[in-house]
Amino acid sequence: MEIIDKQVDGVTILSLTGSIDAMTAPQITEFIQAQIAKGNTKLVADLKGVDYTSSAGLRVLLGAIKETRAQSGDLRLAGIQPDVQKVLNLSGFTNILKTFADPDAAVASYK
Amino acid sequence: MTTIDKPRIALVIGSGSVKCAAALGLMKVFEREKIGLDMVVGCSGGSIYASLIALGWSVQKATDTTLKMWTREVTAKRNTRALLQLALPWLVKFDETFGLIDDSLVNRRFREGFAGATFADMKIPLFVTATDLYNGEQVIMSEGSVAEAVRASISIPFIFPPHKVNSRYLVDGFQSDPLPIGVAIKEGADIIIAMGFESPYQDRITSLMRYNFQMSSVTSNNLLKTNYAFHNLAHHSEIIPILPEFEHKIKLFDTDKLPYVIEEGERAAEKQLPFIKGLLGI
Repeated sequence: MEIIDKQVDGVTILSLTGSIDAMTAPQITEFIQAQIAKGNTKLVADLKGVDYTSSAGLRVLLGAIKETRAQSGDLRLAGIQPDVQKVLNLSGFTNILKTFADPDAAVASYK
Repeated sequence: MTTIDKPRIALVIGSGSVKCAAALGLMKVFEREKIGLDMVVGCSGGSIYASLIALGWSVQKATDTTLKMWTREVTAKRNTRALLQLALPWLVKFDETFGLIDDSLVNRRFREGFAGATFADMKIPLFVTATDLYNGEQVIMSEGSVAEAVRASISIPFIFPPHKVNSRYLVDGFQSDPLPIGVAIKEGADIIIAMGFESPYQDRITSLMRYNFQMSSVTSNNLLKTNYAFHNLAHHSEIIPILPEFEHKIKLFDTDKLPYVIEEGERAAEKQLPFIKGLLGI
């Protein structure tokens, strides 16, 4: 899993490449925790490079959503690929989080 | 990540009529890769294939058995008593045995198809789910006759009469959970391969039956999503969704499309295979 972070207008964009699953979950959680510890609670996960998410991946996303929202921030998703979208739909995650076609739109939504 | 020395693998096949045969395609891939299962869970249409897989039959034998058991003829004969219950309720008392279709043929087909097998005969532990008509509870069957359990699990509301097992009237498993992952969690599975299907919506509602099917789909699809979310968050290990896609519409008795359905199941399993192998360290 490759994670690259970038600041745009006070929002942290995390560009992820690979799968979000049990094998990569600890790395992603650690990365997000570090961002939150730095006070970066307005997050956008750019999932353009993510081809798969499993139950462990969903738990990572949920943990990040709860933690950022508890600190007046949020985790918003962008660039979701069809296979990941299917899992997010099936698990009802699209009912509780905001999704956007691309990171720019997700960043703009924080204004 | 906590590693489990020898993870217990479960296959859960949800409701979805003939589409559930996609599980046979998944088994082709698993057999080739020598990925063994520790348990199989089936609900509604999925209970047919869960049972065939648990019996250890080949994909060909399972397909042949399906073609013999599940044909349009099983819904051809109307249940006269049910029609009278609707038309003349003062004369023929309405009760919990209501179902528009005479189920004698499907009962016989299942008895013949499963050749008197019991849960104790299964090569892989099998769990079949249905729903208690009187209190809505999920009923997990893991002993006794497989044919009886499967028959209870496929009691489509209004179509087939509820099936009495151990003095309980049981209706379709999808009514308590269309994808019973919870059974695998409860039985101690680590890695859960979940093959689920959303119920199709009607293009147009032009009859009472279509209205009935539509209401069932609305309810069961929402139930599928809420339960799936809960199970994903509650499970200690991995739930791997296998969601075959069908370009062609698959109806309740489209057994002529079985080869296509199996192929799509195989394709969906191949897609997840690298991750599954990575998880198993093979």
